[in-house]
Formats: sequence, structure tokens, C-alpha cells
Amino acid sequence: MEKNILVVDDSESIRELVGDILTKAGFNVFKGYDGRNGLEVLTSTEENMSMIITDLFMPGMDGIDLIKEIRKLERYQYIPILMLTTESHMAKKMEAKKAGVTGWMVKPFEEEKLLKTVHKIIR
Amino acid sequence: MSNLRDVYLEEAEELFKRIEEALLLLENSPEDSSSLIADVFRSMHTLKGNSGMFGLTKVADFLHNLETLYEKVRSDHSLLSEDIIECTFKSLDHVKKIIYDPEIEEQENIDENQALTDEILKILKRTEEVSIDLHSIEALSGMVSYLVFFQPKHDVFEDGTNPILLLDELAELGKSKVFSHMESKALSDSFDPKVCYTSWNIVLVTEKGLDAIRDVFIFVEDSAMIEINELFDGDILADQEFHERLPEVDLPSAPLSFDDFRSLIEIDRPSASGDTEIEVIPETTDSSTEEKTEKTESTPEPATKKAPVETKKTSTSTSSSEEPSVYKNKVKKLFDKNKTASSIRVSSDKLNELMNNVSELVTTQAALALFTKNNFDPTLDAISDNVEKLTRQLRDISFGMTLVQVDNLFSRFQRVIRDLSSQLGKSVRFVTEGGDTELDKTIIENLADPLMHIIRNSLDHGIETAEERVKNGKPETGTIKLMSYYSGAKVYIRVEDDGGGMDPEKIRKKALEKKLISKDDNLSEKETFDLIFAPGFSTAANVTDVSGRGVGMDVVRKNILDLRGDIQVESELGVGTSITLGLPLTLSVIDGLLIKVKGTHFIIPLAEISKCFELDRKEISNEFNSVIVLDDEQLPYLDLRKEFNLGMEDNPEVTSVIVVHKLGTKIGVCVDSIEGEYQAVLKPVGKYYRDQEFISGATILGDGSLALVLDAYKIVERKMSKQKVTA
Repeated sequence: MEKNILVVDDSESIRELVGDILTKAGFNVFKGYDGRNGLEVLTSTEENMSMIITDLFMPGMDGIDLIKEIRKLERYQYIPILMLTTESHMAKKMEAKKAGVTGWMVKPFEEEKLLKTVHKIIR
Repeated sequence: MSNLRDVYLEEAEELFKRIEEALLLLENSPEDSSSLIADVFRSMHTLKGNSGMFGLTKVADFLHNLETLYEKVRSDHSLLSEDIIECTFKSLDHVKKIIYDPEIEEQENIDENQALTDEILKILKRTEEVSIDLHSIEALSGMVSYLVFFQPKHDVFEDGTNPILLLDELAELGKSKVFSHMESKALSDSFDPKVCYTSWNIVLVTEKGLDAIRDVFIFVEDSAMIEINELFDGDILADQEFHERLPEVDLPSAPLSFDDFRSLIEIDRPSASGDTEIEVIPETTDSSTEEKTEKTESTPEPATKKAPVETKKTSTSTSSSEEPSVYKNKVKKLFDKNKTASSIRVSSDKLNELMNNVSELVTTQAALALFTKNNFDPTLDAISDNVEKLTRQLRDISFGMTLVQVDNLFSRFQRVIRDLSSQLGKSVRFVTEGGDTELDKTIIENLADPLMHIIRNSLDHGIETAEERVKNGKPETGTIKLMSYYSGAKVYIRVEDDGGGMDPEKIRKKALEKKLISKDDNLSEKETFDLIFAPGFSTAANVTDVSGRGVGMDVVRKNILDLRGDIQVESELGVGTSITLGLPLTLSVIDGLLIKVKGTHFIIPLAEISKCFELDRKEISNEFNSVIVLDDEQLPYLDLRKEFNLGMEDNPEVTSVIVVHKLGTKIGVCVDSIEGEYQAVLKPVGKYYRDQEFISGATILGDGSLALVLDAYKIVERKMSKQKVTA
């Protein structure tokens, strides 16, 4: 069965790029254009997501707020969330960790590495 | 991937626009800076990230320094200076170029890249020096006592934040004494254990400075109210008297204000400082207060709705709230854009294809309607009606898709005006209105140049220098207003300035000089102003490189007319000038009046028709000098039979006169008969017909025959020039 992944990024190009890579690898990709929209997609979609990939800096609701919101949802309390960002500051990482992020990947990334990480997380 | 690359480029353009908009607003209203700077930073960050992701590493490298700079500015707004904004603009222009030259191979780009990178690094270095300076000042003066007020939002526990950890972190900065306060509702029955009812006042003595304190709270800025104020220049906790007074005020009823604390110090401390080096505060103070905080944390009370909490950052000075509301709204608008509904991108090729098909469908539907009319069949009739309805809807929807908000166009000028006004040394405010008006994409694209020319003119020749303006009793800053609005089947775009206005006398003189008019010509004011559209006319005493580019207003008018629009000037000496462009909503479909002249169909655009009359043929042929009187008005007229050499035989007894207006001139057009309104899908006529005088296009009628679309402007122009010759 195809696994569903939600990709949240305010940058269309990144969203599409990540989406393309994942679709090619056989995943079913859902997309959100910022934190709030991502959350909407998550709550309004019947199918269950297997994983969420999100950007950190986004207008409105940013990645960390999104994670906090997701962790409040009963359905997704434990879903793996990968943060995909150019940010590599320790402080932000700590904050994200507190909020409940599963993994951290720094942009720019390589296709292979992304897939490897995703497979490792979802298995 | 190449597809995605296009998305990257388009997105980059959007980000450029966004950064520019924010920067321009920043220049105008530095008070609102924090959200704007954050926006610039975020856009830059996204741009850098995308560039790196798409392999444009050199672009990303370049942006990295800029981003670092804005990261600094973000944490200390006072760093933002004019030269930073100027440098950002230059850098943006550079990035706009190098995203198409990602390896930076062109010499010009190499040089520019180096120069700008140096400039940014220089600014960066300077900002570092400034912050080092600040640090050293604080370090020199030694200990400073701060009062930190920290009130988390009620729901702060929900994301796992433990306020006590922050207090611990704060305590590590120096000596501290914590006063906790609890909302009275914590003790009532409606206590909710998940709600944080506690707030804290912390007297902190540290030599690490304000920034270090702010850093502690950096992640809770949004979920708590934080106020940091400098309480005392020195170590207040070392003062025994201060301690003695404290227990009296440590009450849970209401949190103490900064002033309360201040008064505690000032009672018998007329002069600050002096006795700074007293012994260190005993550890016990800290631990005892912390105990207290722990207790209060678990102490309860019901959730009261509190207004969203604000973060105040700077010491004593409170942030201003009196910035002009215009900017405030704009800032708001800029952020509203974040929330735009989801939309998809479609290539314009696909849209054009769709439009073509819809046009064909409209023509085919007309054929069906005609066939139905001629072959009466109730079933077919119903079907035809339905097809007509659907076609109309489909047409409207698809045309709607090609419409673009003029906002896109307007925002381009923002930047131009900024650059030019500083170049010319004039102070100009640029106001736009009606940016949400929609127009056909093609029209918008073709409007950019003419509008640019008009705006340049306003800036260069219209708006006076600041001294001149003050002398004439006007505000020092000039205003250029660009607005857009619907009226009837047209969209109007208007450029207004409050500059010097045009002098009809000067124009007349110039026109005489250029032999555009003769001495005996008696022109109305309007006709005089219209002279500026005559080829080879330029009133500016000295041609500057801003607006004197060899392209005159005649070209502007031609461009507008090519779009089937018109252009009007109004001006009052000393008050200002306004130029109004009237434009059709779309170029591909027009509402027209179908007319017939000796068996041939023509279409006149409805927008250009003011009235229709029916007259006896004899009345016209008796008229002198081709002028008829209609509605008590003398009208020159044109007989299409005569103009097209169709012959006068079998002329109908009753003829129709259609009054056409264009550029404020009215003219009658005599035709055999009026057939009715017609939605014409405009097709260009081939290049063989390029030089003809009346036709602007053709359309296919329902029966497959052709109707030519008459160009009202050319008719008026031809008639007027003919009159001049005969007069």
C-alpha cells in the first residue's frame, strides 16, 4: 500500500521538488503551503499520513508551531516529523526538539539522502 | 527538473517583489519595522534556501551574507540604516541578474558580485563593531540591575514549556531575586491545572547586558508577555535597604509595576550609584524565591480571557503607535497576502489556447443560433438556447482567468519613483489606489511602458523641487497618485500629481515654434493640452535623462490607442496634472453594434458609441459642409458609402446616424441600417491591411461571413484632419 507523506513548505519550488522526489519513490504526497494550511490538510484528509516533512521558517504558522499543533491531535500525537530547513542553529533545534520533532535535515540536501532518511523513519 | 526550475525563477521574482515592497515600507515607516524586517529576513532566507536547493550555490552564497546582515538587524532594529536599505536594493538587482547567470561568468556580474559582497561585509563588520561597543560600555559600567516582567500566556504549558527553566536560565546571568504573582482566580473553584496563572517579576543584576536577557526569552516571545527595563545603574540587590523594603511589596494581589520598583529605589536614594561594591547577596534569597515560584506554578485558578499578549523589548521607551495609518494598513495588507487562498499556476500558453478555443466556440454557437432561427424546431431551439447560455458562462469564466490585478503593475513603479525622486532630489510620496482592479494580462504588459513614461514626466516636470513647493505654499513632499477603477465597460487608470501643472501659454508658444499650429488657430484649453500628444512635442526647457528619452507623449498615446484605449489630460497651473487612461477590459472580445452598409457588415465598438439617430436621407444630402444638427449640437459626419466608394444607388430612404466619440470629439457616422448588438471575437486582419485607415480587426459572423470592425479613433482623426484641410 502506498504511504502518505505531507510536505509543508511555503516555497513552491521546494514543495514541488520534495513532492517529485517522494512521488517518484512511490509515496503518495500531500502538500501544504504554510503551517496553518498544512494543519488543515492534515485534519481534513481522511487517509492517515505516515510522516510529515516541514520547513521551519514560514509566514503565519511556522514549523515549530505546526509541530506543536500536530502533537495536540490525538491521531498524530506520535507521527514522525522531519524538519527540512536551511537553519542549523542549536537553539532552534532544541526548540524544535522540545516541540517534538523527529528528525532534522539541512537544505540543500541530496535526493538520495532525503529518501534514505525518509525510509529510515517510516520503514 | 527544468520545469521546477521555472517554478524556482517565478518564485524568486515573487520574493524579490516582496522584499522590495517591505523595504519601501520600511523606508517610509521605520516604526513598524519589526514585522517588516522579519518579512525581509524570511523572504531572503527562502530565496537563499531555494537557490541552494536548485544548485545556484553562488547565488546562495551571495545571499548568505545579506541574510546574516538582516539576522542582525532583526535582533537590533536600530542597526537598520539608509545605506543598508540602499545596499539591499542594489543587491536585489544583482541577484535578479545572477539567477540567470548562476555561475557568475559575465564580467559585469563578477565585478558587481565582488563589489556588493565587499559592501555587505563592510556593513556587517560595522554592525559587529557597534554591538561590541555597546557591550564594552555595559561591561565598563559593570553591574546593571534590570527588572524583568515575565507573564506566560495561560496555555503555555500545553507546548511543554516550563517557565521555571527560563527563570533558572535567567538566574545564571547574575544575581536575581524572583517575585511571583498569581491571578486571584487561581484559588477559585474553576481552577484548571493546565493553565498557567502565574507571572513573575525578576530583579536581575548582571553585567551581560540587555541582549543576553532577551536571548533567554527568545523562544517564548510569542507565548508570553516580556518586559525588560533597566532599574538601576548598579547592583541594587547589594543594597540592604532595598531588601528590607521588599517583603512589604511582595503581595500576590497584583504584579508590581516598573514604577513601583523604581519608587522603592528612589525613596532614599536621591543619587544613583556610588556604593556599588557591597557584599554579594546570600544564596538563600535565590533559593527561597525559587521555592516560592515552584509552589505558585502548581497553584491554580480559572482561565480568564486576556487580550493577546504583546512583547515589549526595549528599555524604558515604549514603542510608538502613531505612525500614519496609511502605512499601517499597507503593512497589514502585506501580511494578509500570506493568507491568500490556494491557487495554481497555469502557463500562459495554455490559457491562450483555451481562449482561442472559447473564441471558436462563441463563433460556432453564433452559427448554431442562426441555423436554429432559420429552421424552426422546438427541440433544437431549446438546445441552442442552452448552448448559448453555457457558452456565455464559459466565455466569461475563461476571460476572467486571463485578468490580472493591476497591483502587479503598480508595485513596479514604487521602486522607480523611489530611485528617481532621490536622483532628482525631490521628495515624493507615491500613493496607489484600486490595485485590485483587474485587467487583461496583455493590456497590463503593454501598459508598463506608457505608464512609466507618464509617471516619469510627473516626477520630472510635474512635481517641483521642495523649495519651490514651500514657496508656493504647498507641502514639501509632492504626491503622485496612481489609481485604477471600473466605469462602464472600461477600466480607468489615472496618474495624478500635485505639481506645477501645465501652462497653456507655454504649450502654445512651443507648438507655434515647432509649427504644430498656426498663429490664427484659436484653441480651447483642452485642445491646447492635447498638443502635448503631437509628434515631436516636448515642453521641458531642458531635457533630463529621466523623462527625456526621445520617446514623446505621442508614442504613449499611440500605445494606448493600440490597446483600444484612450487618454485624457487635465491640468491646472499651480495645482497639478492628471492623465487618465481608459482601457477595455479585454482585447479579444468586444461588445459591438452590427451595422450594414450596402450589403456589407461592419461592427462599431459599443464603448465608443454615444447615440443613434434615424434620419431621412434627404436631410443629410441637403446639409452644408458635412455638418448636421442633432440634439441642438453641430456634428461633423461621415457617410460610409461615400468613404468606401460603394456608390449612392439603391440608397435607403431612411438612414441611421451613429454618434461615435473618441478623445472627447464626437462625430456622426451614416450607415444603411443597424442590425443589433453583437459580441465580436476580434481577429487581427492580415498585414496586407495594415495601412488601411478604418479597420482595427475582423470577426466571423454566425453565418460564416466576415464583418470588419471599425476603429472609432481613426474615423474621428481622419474626419478632423479633413475638416482642417477644408476649413
